[in-house]
Amino acid sequence: MDYLGQLLANGLVLGAIYALAAVAFTLVYGVVRLVNFAFGELFMLGAFLTASLMLPEVRLLGTIVPMPGFSLPVAAAGAIALTAALGVLVDRIAYRPLRNAPRLAPLITSIAVSVVLQSLAQTVWGAEELRFPEFHLATLPPVVLFDSIYLSVMDLVVMATALAAMLGLSAFIARSSLGRAMRASAEDQMAATLVGIPVNRVVAAAFAIGSGFAALAGLLYAQTYGFAHSSMGFLPGLKALTAAVLGGIGSIPGAALGGLILGLVEALGSGYLPNGTAWKDAISFVLLVGLLYLRPQGLLGKPELNAAGRGSLLGGASEFGAAWLRAAFAKVDGGLTRAAAAGPRAALALLALAILVGLVVPSDYWLRILTMVVIYGMLASGLNVIVGFAGLLDLGFVAFWAVGSYLTSILFVLVLKDQFGVAPADIWWLLYLNLPLAGLLAAGFAVLLGTPTLRLRGDYLAIMTLGFGEIVRVVAINWMDLTNGPMGIRGIPAPNLFGIALGSPRAQFFFALALAVLVVFAIARLVRSYVGRAWVAIREDEEAAEAMGVPTARYKLYAYAASGFVGGFVGVFYAHSQQYISPLNFSLFENILLLMLVVLGGLGTFVGPFIGALIWIVFLQLALDLPFVQAYPETRFALLGVVLIVLMVFRPQGLAASARVALTMPGARPANAKEAA
Amino acid sequence: MKPLTGAPSPAPLLEARAITVRFGGLEAVGGLDMAVARDAIHGLIGPNGAGKTTVLNVLTGFIRPTEGELVFDGAEIGGLGVNGFARRGLARTFQNIRLFGAMTVLESVLVGAHQRFSANALSLVFARRSARAAEAAMIARAYELLEFVGLGADVADRVATTLSYGHQRRVEIARALISAPKLLLLDEPLAGMNAVEKSEIADLVRQVRAQGIAVLLIEHDMQVVRRLCDHLTVLEYGRKLADGPPEDVLADPAVQAAYLGRAR
Repeated sequence: MDYLGQLLANGLVLGAIYALAAVAFTLVYGVVRLVNFAFGELFMLGAFLTASLMLPEVRLLGTIVPMPGFSLPVAAAGAIALTAALGVLVDRIAYRPLRNAPRLAPLITSIAVSVVLQSLAQTVWGAEELRFPEFHLATLPPVVLFDSIYLSVMDLVVMATALAAMLGLSAFIARSSLGRAMRASAEDQMAATLVGIPVNRVVAAAFAIGSGFAALAGLLYAQTYGFAHSSMGFLPGLKALTAAVLGGIGSIPGAALGGLILGLVEALGSGYLPNGTAWKDAISFVLLVGLLYLRPQGLLGKPELNAAGRGSLLGGASEFGAAWLRAAFAKVDGGLTRAAAAGPRAALALLALAILVGLVVPSDYWLRILTMVVIYGMLASGLNVIVGFAGLLDLGFVAFWAVGSYLTSILFVLVLKDQFGVAPADIWWLLYLNLPLAGLLAAGFAVLLGTPTLRLRGDYLAIMTLGFGEIVRVVAINWMDLTNGPMGIRGIPAPNLFGIALGSPRAQFFFALALAVLVVFAIARLVRSYVGRAWVAIREDEEAAEAMGVPTARYKLYAYAASGFVGGFVGVFYAHSQQYISPLNFSLFENILLLMLVVLGGLGTFVGPFIGALIWIVFLQLALDLPFVQAYPETRFALLGVVLIVLMVFRPQGLAASARVALTMPGARPANAKEAA
Repeated sequence: MKPLTGAPSPAPLLEARAITVRFGGLEAVGGLDMAVARDAIHGLIGPNGAGKTTVLNVLTGFIRPTEGELVFDGAEIGGLGVNGFARRGLARTFQNIRLFGAMTVLESVLVGAHQRFSANALSLVFARRSARAAEAAMIARAYELLEFVGLGADVADRVATTLSYGHQRRVEIARALISAPKLLLLDEPLAGMNAVEKSEIADLVRQVRAQGIAVLLIEHDMQVVRRLCDHLTVLEYGRKLADGPPEDVLADPAVQAAYLGRAR
């Protein structure tokens, strides 16, 4: 009973924090139907700003800066105000131009904003934890309930603050004129505009309040656990989003309820399940996946029609953009259009160029980097099938990659070498068997993941895939017997062909290139057929596709399976080329990076993923020579995020957009039609 | 051009029995019975808000009726999904043209032929001869249909959404026809067109029927409806007001009252 009571008390504190952050997601979603992934980072900034304002001095950008040393309430108020202002600024710059864009655009933008804020925070405050200063209430002796349940005074403060904030917000929404305007905008934005509600200002207010709540949650979290860190917002952000979805996104009481349930389930799960603390993150995501499957509208949410937004990022061009920017893109377009007109000859020329580069580059270092370009290009191509062609955001793609890498590593190292003492060189052929096998296994996982998400709208789908990816990662960390846990698997043999080791960087580059040819060839053949036409039709207008006789649910599954196959297939080679894998290789950040590479290069093109990978990975290396980047390596990721936001606002089609992919089988046209065209 | 479907038989092609659709407390369609003959150009008319589009959505599977049953070509189809309706031979166009962005005219039309492809993934990846043959046959058919709807082969490679409004309508009709439907449902095919275009589309509709495909269309232009349709169903407030040959129906005082707003 004492143990249970203590767990319940801990769960309530955690739940109160989740609930506050969930309000941020729910409020903004309610008004603009946007899942703002960046709230996790605003949560983190709330913690950092509060801690900084409370300290006498802080190290910012490596230099000691004197700080006012406020007490917690003053510092918290300041941090909340600053974060709220930042939230409004982000909305103004990154989201408002995309208000009428297809849903994928603001979703990707919010992920990019997230990356920018996190990288900047790490640049400013450094990679180490910042200890959260002690507040005098925290030094008081804890309150003891029923002789055995210990609650610190600050725990009570957290709960009281959360309760007061929630009640205050509910009253505000119910009574104030701005609150009424918010509810009206949530119902119907067009109608709200017509009756004279300044919708942009209402949305800004929702962002301000939401960001304030995220900051409040973040500072309470940091206060409770005693530290602030640049990546601290990631998991709580996901949990808060989970809580919001659990309660029914868009509903404020739902957010409160979802937060409390999640906090309690996590506390009880980590207390009672065997090895529960290790699995507690998986618990919330299993809860999320299960709930979305059974009741996608959440506990208190209204069911929304599964009406996918029409149009895609590729269908129309952005109406924004300065003349010089347009002119610059027009040059890119001109070159690409000419290249695309050359068709297969252009592809062969590219391949010849890649072979030439592989032959002449003298340094092993650069060959390794180019091999990474090809690997990331292939992975991004796999992700591109689902995101670029079928138009579904997938944040769990890394899981397929992980499945492939782990399958081959476990077979080669943990089973055959460690259990049976088989030397990897004797079974070199297993690699070639593992490639398709891992592809099939990952495709199977993809169908498993895809099946429950078919009924879900785009943004829910993103959340679901994200939950799935996290579950796979948590399993990889914690299922020690299967995966060696966080230590990872060492000694994975380099690829080998008929006993000839292909371990040299040059051999690996050509191996990767050969696989890339296979991957692109297979994807291209599928896309340039009725299957690809069905995918693009789903991306452009799901309902119309269905009315044309396309079983959209089944074709979405096929897209998942094809993308999963590529992920597993490439994952096998990845493991053998790196010769070491650990769960760190398969983080959500990698998934976000792949997504950014696809968007950068051009969604729904064959070369786009490789262009994106080439630009990014080469830049990542070259930039290391700049003294500024040496001092602040994180700024490179911030820059990538900024580029992504700019692209989403000004050129959602990506750089290679004019390399538009033909969706008919080459050579299948009647001769006279070719002349007419 | 070869006919698109087999020989007609006397039983109605599509029969809707006692269809009722309620959205919450609102009854959009109440107890509607209607039958579309196999060789009909059937008009569905009625004042704004009468429930015409709701009926069309029921007949294409977009809305599942609260009550009632649908029999198409001798089989109950009420439980099928939207793509199931299309696979049985009901093809449609949309009131607000819904072509796929970023696709060329040829590709858009080919999406309509989706159900006529059957190659599996491996045949596609290895471009087996059967897969190539199927693709070539459908592409040839798409060109035929583009010509049939009055578009030249030169538009085939243009992005469909960049065509003029009238041409987009024709692409939509070609996209619907390539599935080899038994019934073509047109939602206000003449909206926003001038007199010349209207008579061209009316001719096209007659040619479609001449191919053995029944047509059900929603239309507001009574002049065209009177000349084009051989059967009319009039809706008002979600209920059937009249049903029969155009001259009888349009002479019906109740129908005139509904349109002109006279007290009944």
